[in-house]
Amino acid sequence: MATQPRRKRRKSAAQGAQSSPPDQHTTGFALGNFRLPLILIAVLLLLSFTSRVQQSDVLVWSFVAATVVLAFWLGYLLLLSSRRQEIHDFTVVLRPQHYVQALVQISLYIYWGYYWRPVYEHAWLIIAQLLFAYTFDILLAWSRRRDYTLGFGPFPIILSINLFLWFRDDWFYMQFLMIAVGFMGKEYVRWQREGRNVHIFNPSAFALGLFSLVLILTGTTSLTWGQEIASTLTLAPNIYTFLFLIGLVVMYFFSITLVAGMAAITLFAFSALYNASAGVPYFLDSDIPAAVFLGLHLLITDPSTSPRTPLGKTIFGVLYGLGVFGLYTLLEILGAPTFYDKLLCVPLLNLSVIAIDRTVRSIKSASLLNVWRADWMGGRANLAHMSVWIVVFAVMTLLGRTDGKHTGDSLPFWEQACTDGLPNGCERLVQLKSTYCNDNAAWACNELGVHYRQGLIVERDVGQAQVYLSQSCELKFKAACANLLDNSLVLTDDPHELDLRLLLREGGLNLMSASLDELHVRACEHDWQFACDSNGNNL
Amino acid sequence: MTQQSDGTHVNTEKVPGRTVGFTAMTLIILAVAFWMSRESSRLEINDSGEAIATGPALEGFRSDAWYLPDDELLGFVAVAAGSFIMGSNPALDRMAYENERWSNLRRQGSVDLPTFYISQFETTISQFAVFARSSGLDISNIDLTGAGNLPIAGITWTEALAYAYWLEQQLRESIETPAELRTFLESGARVTLPNEAEWEKAARSTDGRVFVWGSQPRTGRANFNSDALSPVGALACPACSYGLSDMAGNVWELTRSPLQDYPYDPADDAENLSADPLYVMRGGSYSDPINNVRTAVRGAADPGVRSDTIGFRIVISTL
Repeated sequence: MATQPRRKRRKSAAQGAQSSPPDQHTTGFALGNFRLPLILIAVLLLLSFTSRVQQSDVLVWSFVAATVVLAFWLGYLLLLSSRRQEIHDFTVVLRPQHYVQALVQISLYIYWGYYWRPVYEHAWLIIAQLLFAYTFDILLAWSRRRDYTLGFGPFPIILSINLFLWFRDDWFYMQFLMIAVGFMGKEYVRWQREGRNVHIFNPSAFALGLFSLVLILTGTTSLTWGQEIASTLTLAPNIYTFLFLIGLVVMYFFSITLVAGMAAITLFAFSALYNASAGVPYFLDSDIPAAVFLGLHLLITDPSTSPRTPLGKTIFGVLYGLGVFGLYTLLEILGAPTFYDKLLCVPLLNLSVIAIDRTVRSIKSASLLNVWRADWMGGRANLAHMSVWIVVFAVMTLLGRTDGKHTGDSLPFWEQACTDGLPNGCERLVQLKSTYCNDNAAWACNELGVHYRQGLIVERDVGQAQVYLSQSCELKFKAACANLLDNSLVLTDDPHELDLRLLLREGGLNLMSASLDELHVRACEHDWQFACDSNGNNL
Repeated sequence: MTQQSDGTHVNTEKVPGRTVGFTAMTLIILAVAFWMSRESSRLEINDSGEAIATGPALEGFRSDAWYLPDDELLGFVAVAAGSFIMGSNPALDRMAYENERWSNLRRQGSVDLPTFYISQFETTISQFAVFARSSGLDISNIDLTGAGNLPIAGITWTEALAYAYWLEQQLRESIETPAELRTFLESGARVTLPNEAEWEKAARSTDGRVFVWGSQPRTGRANFNSDALSPVGALACPACSYGLSDMAGNVWELTRSPLQDYPYDPADDAENLSADPLYVMRGGSYSDPINNVRTAVRGAADPGVRSDTIGFRIVISTL
C-alpha cells in the first residue's frame, strides 16, 4: 500500500496547501528551487564516506555513480530551465497514508532488526536509497514539467522494497536501478481508469516483481539478501502478532481490511484444506509464511492500484491468496526459490484491476454487491471488517497456526511423512535438512550426505554426498567422518547438543542458552525418541 | 510555465511524451537482465575454480600426470606385507609419551599389514592445486601461492581425503597409470590417507627404529627445529626406511585413524560415534623439536582445523 483513497487524499492535499504558504514555493526561477535536489545529492555523496559504505569498493562506486547520474540530470534541467525561463517548483502535501505507513514500516524494521542485526547495519543504505528516490522522483517530475509533490511518498516505496529484497554490497548498484525502475513505472506505465490517468502498478511491487523475474531467469538470486530476509522475519518473537497489530493500524486508517484480510483468510483456508487432505503442511513450517503475511499487508493494499468497491477488494484479496498459493508450488517445480511467491503475482493482479471492477459492475444483484455493507455493520463497514479479521486471527492463533511451534518445525514429523510417502514429505525433509546444514548443524549435513549416497529419497550423487559429509565431519560429527572414510558406510547418529540448539529453534533464534535438559524436553516435544528416552532416564 | 493566482504553476508548453521515458525504462530493465546473466556466468566460473594457477613445470615432477613424481611408479613406494613393532619402548626411547604405550601390560605391540604403496613425498602445492582446479574446491582458505614443490599445508582433514579420492579416480581412468598400480587398484585397493599403522611401518620399517634415519638423534636428515617449510625431498636421507622423504618434520602428516588409546585396532574406528572426532597426525613439523619427529609420536587434529604445520601424504591401500 502506498497511497490512499481519493476522498482522503483531497483532504490531505488541502491541509498540505494550508501548511505551505504559496509564496514559499512559488519563488520563480532561481537556484533556490534546485537547492533541495542539490542538497540531497550532496548528502548521498557524503554517505559514501561512512564506514558502512566504505566496507566495499563496489558500494562506494555505486554511490558515486548514482550521484554522478543525478548530478548530470540536475545540471541538464538547470541548463534547460535557464534557457527556457521555466520554473520548477514543489507542492508540499503531507499525506497520512504515506507517513503513517512509513511509521508502521519503521517500527517493523526496529523490531525485526533487534533480532537480526544486518537490518540495523543496512540502515545507512536505506537512507541512501531514500535520498536517491527523492532526488530521482523530483527530477522525473520536473523533466515532465510538473511541480513536484513533496511529502513522504518515497518512504513507503523504499521501505517496502527493502522489506523484501536488497542486493548484496557487490551488486548494490542494482538497488538504485530497481528504485529507478519503480519510479519510472509509476510515471510511464499508466492507463485511464474511471476517467483518470493513473499508474497501473504499485511502484514497489512493480520493481520487486520485475527484478524478481530477472533474478529467477538468470539464476542470480544469490546476489541478493532475499532468501535471508524471508527466513529471518521469524527470528523476532511473535512476529505474526506484531504484523497483525501494525496491520490493524493501517487497516483502521485506510480501509484495507477487505484486501489484506481476505488474502490472509484465503491462504489460511487453503493451507488448512491441503493439510487436512494431504496430512502435511502446504508451506514448510507455517500456514502462511511470515514474509507472505507481511506482503499481504504491504504490497496489494495500494488504493490506486487495487479495486475500489468492497466486492472488488474482496476478489482482489482472494486472488492474491490464490496467486501466492499457486506460485509457491510452481516455483518449487521450476526449482526456483519459493520466497518470490508473494512478489510475482502482484503486478499481474494490478493488471487485473479494471477487469475486476468491470466484473463487479456487471453484477446486478444488489444484495451481493452490498453484502459487505449490511445494516448490522451500522454504517461502519471497515470497523466491522476489522472485527471479523481480529476474530479470524485470534482463532488461528489459538489453533497454533501463527506464532509458536508449528507441526512442520519438527524433523521427526517430516521423517515420518517421508517414510509414509505423504505428498512432498521427502522433498520437505531434504529441504529442511538443507536449511539446517547451511546453518552448520552437523547432524543435518551427515543426514544429507547419507541421503545422497543412498539415493533413496534424492537422486544418488556421490560428489554431493562427499561435500555434505565433509562439512559435517569438519563440524565434528564423527559418523560423517567415518562415512567419508568408507564409501560403503551410511552411518547416522542422534543430533548432538549443538545440533539441537539449531534444530529445535522453531523458526526463531538458535537456542544457545538453553540447558541440555531443556533441549531434551523440547526435543521430546518434537518427537525425537532419543530425547524422550533420555528424559525418562533422568526422571 | 506560468504562475497562477493560487500560487501553483500551469504548464503552457507541451509536456514531454512518455515514449522516451518508457523506452529508457525498458532499456534499463534489459540492461539489468543482460548484466545479471553475465554475473551468473561469472559466478559459475568462480565456483569451478578456474582462477587457480598450477604454476610452471617442476623438475622431478610430471605436469602431465597431476604433478606426481617423475618415476616409474609416479612416486609410490611399495611396503611389503608383514608385521612390525608399533608404539614406544621407554627403555630405548627416553622421549616417549604415555600415549605411545601399547597397554598397561605391554610397552609395544606387533601389527601385521598387507602390502601397500605409500607416496615417497608429502603431497605438494602443485599436486593439490591441480585437484582444486579440477574439482572446483573452494580455495578461499587455502594458500596455493607458494612454490609448487613445497608441501601443501593449511588444508583440512576432509580436503586431504577429497584429494585422495580425486587422485584415485584419475589413476583408475588414466592410461598414464603404471600397470603395477593399476593392477593393485583393480584388486580392491584405494587411494587414501595412511592409517596409523601403515604410516608407522613406513617410517620405522621392521627394525623398530626411533627416528626415520635410525635410533640416534641427528640433524640434517629432516626439516625440524626450523622456521620454514622446505621443498619435498630437499634433504637427502639415504638411511631412511623405504627411501621415503620428510617422514620426520616439514609438516605433520594426517592419517585416517581416529585418536584412540592403544592397543591399535582399526576395527573400533567407527565406534563411539557421539564423541568428538580427532584424527591422528604423525611425523612432526618444521617447527617441532626433535622429540616430536620420532616415528612413534602421536599428534591429533580436529578434522576441520587448518594449520601451516599440517599436511599429508597418501597411500594406496587394501585396508
